[in-house]
Amino acid sequence: MKKLFSKSFWIRNETLVAIVIIAFIIIASISDPRFLSMPTLTDLLRGGIVLGIFAVGVMVVLISGGIDVSFTAVAVFAMYTTTLFLVTFVPELSWYWAFGISMLIGAALGAINGIFIAWFGLPTLIVTLGTLSIYRGFLLTFVGSKLISNLPPDMRDFSRLMMFRNTNADGSFYSLPWAFAALVIVVIITWFILYRTTLGRSIFAIGGSIESARRIGINVRATQFFVYVYVGTLAGLAGIIYASMSRVANPFDLVGLELSVIAAVVLGGARLIGGYGTLTGTLLGVALIVIVRNSLIVIGIPSTWQSVAIGVLILVGTGLPAWQAKRAAARAS
Amino acid sequence: MKSSIKILASILAASTALSIALPATSQEVSIATVVKISGIQWFNRMEEGVKQFAEDTGINAFQVGPAQADPQQQVALIEDMIAQGVSAIAVVPMSPEALEPVLKRARDAGIVVVSHEAASLQNVSYDIEAFQNEDFGANLMKNLAACLGGEGEYAVFVGSLTSQTHNQWVDGAIAYQEANFPDMVLVGDRNETFDDQQQAYEKAQEVLRAYPNIKGFQGSASTDVAGIGLAIEERGLEDSTCVAGTSLPSIAGQYLETGAVDMISFWDPSLAGYAMNKVAVMVMNGEEVTDGMDLGITGYNSVRLVDKVIFGQAFVEVTKENMADYPF
Repeated sequence: MKKLFSKSFWIRNETLVAIVIIAFIIIASISDPRFLSMPTLTDLLRGGIVLGIFAVGVMVVLISGGIDVSFTAVAVFAMYTTTLFLVTFVPELSWYWAFGISMLIGAALGAINGIFIAWFGLPTLIVTLGTLSIYRGFLLTFVGSKLISNLPPDMRDFSRLMMFRNTNADGSFYSLPWAFAALVIVVIITWFILYRTTLGRSIFAIGGSIESARRIGINVRATQFFVYVYVGTLAGLAGIIYASMSRVANPFDLVGLELSVIAAVVLGGARLIGGYGTLTGTLLGVALIVIVRNSLIVIGIPSTWQSVAIGVLILVGTGLPAWQAKRAAARAS
Repeated sequence: MKSSIKILASILAASTALSIALPATSQEVSIATVVKISGIQWFNRMEEGVKQFAEDTGINAFQVGPAQADPQQQVALIEDMIAQGVSAIAVVPMSPEALEPVLKRARDAGIVVVSHEAASLQNVSYDIEAFQNEDFGANLMKNLAACLGGEGEYAVFVGSLTSQTHNQWVDGAIAYQEANFPDMVLVGDRNETFDDQQQAYEKAQEVLRAYPNIKGFQGSASTDVAGIGLAIEERGLEDSTCVAGTSLPSIAGQYLETGAVDMISFWDPSLAGYAMNKVAVMVMNGEEVTDGMDLGITGYNSVRLVDKVIFGQAFVEVTKENMADYPF
């Protein structure tokens, strides 16, 4: 109880984001009482799957002191190549093979980032900005630029696998797909790596200070390499889930989403300078972005104003904690 | 050594001059249809129309297109056609402005130029549009209203709030609804989907939550109805809602099958290809297209002429029953 009312609790990003979320829900429910319902909840959970998996990967990179903007290109590359391969050669293959292939492609592309960053020591933003356009350009030029709307049947069936399904009063359905379990599993595995393994401690350490980490004997190269392979793998997974849930593989999709994802992670309190970030905060950040993106019609904000509203929210959400931190620093000195 | 190069060069020059001169002097009529890009299903379908025209008339009509959607490659192709000395060029421009100079050169060389989907183009005899945008939107609304029984709430989707064609379709649809179906109610703003199926899906989910009584959806971008259809299917509302919009069977087919989408509309590129070639021949023969004229092609039976733009009513309505006839 004491912890709850301590000052540090109230200025944490997680708390602020949670307050904004609650405020948003209250406003939405006042303007439309039907907002508080199971269909809203399942729609929002569904909308958070892909964004959530991306965000967890990005958070790990931010903790390690780097930044990755290429993950959307990795995801779309892995997703589209896998789908094209399956449709052309083995359409009857099970969905878990599709997932495996996509994650493998994602890991390979992540490894390319990792080699440039860990072995050549290039700045992470530059490397991933470069690979972002290389991966996407390569995909569109050499793999294909046509929309695939006939997914392999098993991928389509995967998107129809529901954890539960219920009927509303008016006879319509609401349901939560098993794809949501993928996000839960990703969160659990990432939690385990970060907090229960030496590797996880190394990631935090190199994010805090690469030089100190090296001096206490941490293998910086191997750790960095792992981080980029890991985020690549997660991107491959998110990509293939995205394709099966939207039942179309569109090579022009996903790229452009990276700023929303990074915004969600930063909203959740991860620091761009590295060394700090929490899963709770990241998931809250994702929740906020998803709620805002999916609730502006309910609140009655006109179409043209919706992107302005999102921008304002990001500015306030990330600006307020930064301003508070600055004030705290000024008071301390 | 030097002189042998000279001789070689002059032979080459002579032979190229000859090859240009030969078809130009021959009396055979040939019409080149130059499309935005070759190999995609839309223009493969157009080529069927061009081939049909060649078969029906015995004229050497053929279709070419660049391998990539690039205005410069299209310019180069038209230059090739001028060099080959074709009698007429039917063009579907990638970027109308970029083609003006080369089309002027073509017309200066005595070649008849007809275009499609380029009402703003200056250096043409005629431009052919499949329909007036407002009519097309009104026809979508007619189908939507028929499906809804003329009553209920509906929402409209556009690919982009700045897209002129999409907004004209929606303007036409809303005007038609207000004039003919007073019991139908438009709810919400124009929903913008950025020509992205996922955005259309999320917007549809949201519209369904915000307006639980909603019964109808009209889409504009080809991916709109697919996104809406997915949201409808997930809620099991296939039978109690109606969805109509611009799309193609290759994009919306799986939702037409389940009934999540009820009707899609588009224009058949093969008919547009046929019409362009036919008009080109008419111009060559010195005939004029007049308002209300019958071109003898389905959808172009009573064309409207505004300046030099020819408007047909060539929209195709596709439902579950006839989607197999349009494999593109």
